[in-house]
Amino acid sequence: MSTSARLAYFARTAIGSMVRSPFVHVIAVAALGLSLLGFGLARIAASQLDALLASLGGEVEFTVYLATDAPADQVDELEKALVNRTQGTLTRVSPATALGRLASQLGEQGRSLTELGENPLPWSLELKLPPHSRDPTALKSLAQKTRALPFVTGVDYGEEALERLGVISRALRLAGLIAFVLVFLTTVIVVSATLQLAIFARREEIEIQKLVGGTDRFVRMPFLIEGALQGVFSGALALAAVYAVVRWVERDGGDLVGFLMLDGRFVVAWGRMALEQLGLGVLLGLTGSFIAVRRFLRV
Amino acid sequence: MIQMFHVTKAYPGDPPVLTDLNLDIAKAEFVFLTGPSGAGKSTLLKLMFLAERPSKGQILIAGRNIARVRESSIPYLRRNIGVVFQDFKLLPTRTVAENVGFTLDVLGVNREEVRERSVKMLRRVGLEHKADVSPLKLSGGEQQRVSLARALVNDPAMLLADEPTGNLDPALTVEIMDLLCDVNARGTTVIVATHDASLIARYEKRTLRLEHGTLVADSRGEKAARLMAHDR
Repeated sequence: MSTSARLAYFARTAIGSMVRSPFVHVIAVAALGLSLLGFGLARIAASQLDALLASLGGEVEFTVYLATDAPADQVDELEKALVNRTQGTLTRVSPATALGRLASQLGEQGRSLTELGENPLPWSLELKLPPHSRDPTALKSLAQKTRALPFVTGVDYGEEALERLGVISRALRLAGLIAFVLVFLTTVIVVSATLQLAIFARREEIEIQKLVGGTDRFVRMPFLIEGALQGVFSGALALAAVYAVVRWVERDGGDLVGFLMLDGRFVVAWGRMALEQLGLGVLLGLTGSFIAVRRFLRV
Repeated sequence: MIQMFHVTKAYPGDPPVLTDLNLDIAKAEFVFLTGPSGAGKSTLLKLMFLAERPSKGQILIAGRNIARVRESSIPYLRRNIGVVFQDFKLLPTRTVAENVGFTLDVLGVNREEVRERSVKMLRRVGLEHKADVSPLKLSGGEQQRVSLARALVNDPAMLLADEPTGNLDPALTVEIMDLLCDVNARGTTVIVATHDASLIARYEKRTLRLEHGTLVADSRGEKAARLMAHDR
């Protein structure tokens, strides 16, 4: 028998078994699908929180105040160094611009500023930091080095707020990792227990196959194919359910989890999500089947 | 074909099922295995098709010492051994022909040939017309014949049968026994465990008698049948 004919036999056996006893397979697909749905939603919540944190830090600015006699060539060098190091966008702000901004921020009270004979504000450099350059430790060291320059009178970058944001971000990542490990382990246990129930119903078939000379691989293959098919079905169902939940929340569930959305939407890479759901479904189905069938092979 | 040297089989916490058993069964021999219930007949058959390993002693099957056979080689050895189980072991979710073809599926025989050989084998046991029904719709005797067909469809070198005529009426018993004799005449070693003294008297084959796990007699025909007078 050729390999393709053998594979066809295994596939026929697997599909035949699913058709003959649909109930146990529906239970297995449901268990797998629910776990994948939980995983998918948790995955979206995690990436949404990430995006949310990145957007909260969108206004992080690193401001350097310059002395009035700051040498132009050294200021130019500092500008280049800051941009190279952070990949941020730098603006040189004149005292007049700074005074204008302050006046508009103060509103009515700001009018009195125009009566000042001399502008007390210094020249400054405003550096808008991209998300990857917001590491509080790196920024602290950069601020220390910049402050040490003789022509720099001060540096401000919202140190406290940024550090707090960093702590929240790390805590969320850790919580996400722990949640993922717990969900994954629970899924493996639930899925292999469910598949064991399905395989238990066919222990006699396994016993006979072994008694008439079937190798472990021969006996196992149809069960692995069943596991993979269950993984595909449950992955597809979970994906559809995740899509429906996301669309429903976007439409009607704003009050519940609105804080997670950016501009009233969830940012989801559906192609990647589909690959993850199907891939994880197949992996869990195969692993569950492999573990579940093992204990019945000793005949 | 089968040689056993000082074979003992015991399960933890229980007295031995077989004790210091020595026997030699030649290739193409026909042997009856008798003895009261619990004498160790089924365990002896299990040792022969490698469903159990001996606690002590050596077993040679077709010259191979099964104590040295790796676990992964057992399926290949079993392919030369046909087994008729006392409880038939038929799958209710498969048709009769599919049950018979199970042995050939394992060997990788293609679908058409599996069907052809299964139906041919069913013809030999008189059940060709039941090829496409579920074993659940068959009588006990018919199920026994399907089990026999499955054991023989692969032309095994050795056939082990545990009470193959236990559920059959006298006419069918003769038919099945004639079939076993025919298989034996073609060179297959046949070992039949039975409680039926009339079979032993009628077929005049070598008969091994077990009592309490020990081989107590190696005789044939009427003499062997008489030893069974008080068996249950």
